Amino acid sequence: MASHPEKPDVPDEKLVRRAQRGDMVAFEGLVARHRDKIYARAFSMMRNEDEAVDLSQEAWVKGWQRLKQFQGESSFVTWMTRIVINLCLDQLRKQKRQRAESIEQLDEELGGVERQMPMVTVNPTEGLERSELRARIDRALNQLSYEHRTVLILHEFEDLEYKEIAKRMECSIGTVMSRLFYARRKMANLMASYKREELS
Amino acid sequence: MNAERQLKLQAWVDGELPEGEARQVADFVKGDQEAQAMVGELRMAKTILAQNEPEVKLPESGEFYWSKIKREIERLEKAEAPSRPVPWIFSWRRLLAPLSGMALIAFLSVVSLNLVHDNEGDESLKHLVEVENLSEHVGSISYRSQSENMFVVYLYNKEQETEKDPELEPMDETVIQ
Repeated sequence: MASHPEKPDVPDEKLVRRAQRGDMVAFEGLVARHRDKIYARAFSMMRNEDEAVDLSQEAWVKGWQRLKQFQGESSFVTWMTRIVINLCLDQLRKQKRQRAESIEQLDEELGGVERQMPMVTVNPTEGLERSELRARIDRALNQLSYEHRTVLILHEFEDLEYKEIAKRMECSIGTVMSRLFYARRKMANLMASYKREELS
Repeated sequence: MNAERQLKLQAWVDGELPEGEARQVADFVKGDQEAQAMVGELRMAKTILAQNEPEVKLPESGEFYWSKIKREIERLEKAEAPSRPVPWIFSWRRLLAPLSGMALIAFLSVVSLNLVHDNEGDESLKHLVEVENLSEHVGSISYRSQSENMFVVYLYNKEQETEKDPELEPMDETVIQ
């Protein structure tokens, strides 16, 4: 009898090996373990529940199809996260081609707007409960364009270097640097504005 | 501060500069208040984000979520199965069964012909071939000539043979050429 896939004492590596031999119960165990994280990454990039569910499921299907290629250079969940990020990037590119850019977005892309933002010198998140802080970060991420949000996610949450981000986003390292600079400044300013809202 | 200097400060904060250049930037920041403020803001944004990724939960049940994944995997595997190209080496396999059958027949034919020839020691009897006849009343004698490519079977009435001439009178004659 196969061991229950969700048993916490069964390491990912063992489930992966079983899944690589075609054991779908083992794969189901991996999905059960990491579905929230994979969904969360898709949601952080897409900002839409339905799309995030669809893309995260597509990532799992691709994960199953490519499982034999997984050699264990990174953890399984990191490997799966890369798959879902790539799917989200593809989807965002498609969407970008379909929608007209706003003047504000074009300004952001061209650069320079960030230099007009006031410098935030006092930490606007001081004294906030963690849940409130996370809610504000979520709100601020929602106000960024997908390029700025994505570069922040890849750098701060996925811990990728400039070079790697440039490769994934199909742009130059210089573009990554300027997008990251703008995104950070915008985030700091948004957090400061939420603080002002709270005080007024 | 120009854009290039700002991006360099950011690269320094992110640890992306080579050692020598990082030392130069560090020295510059020490003596420039605006640079210090900029670095402070960048570090704050970086730290806030890195430690507080918003938590998001899947908005549907795990079973339902998995069932859709499983269904899609099964659908794709079914769809892939017939269209998957067969490697050339395997395409020969479907010819192997009839080919091996034909080879076996050819081999047995050659072997049996050799056996027939081996048994044909007496040249005078070469033209006589045994033909099985199951009738009590009809007898048969066959004659084969390879040089003329001819095979003749004489059928005769056994009862007449005993009453009449011991010379064979053909009742019927079948020639196969």
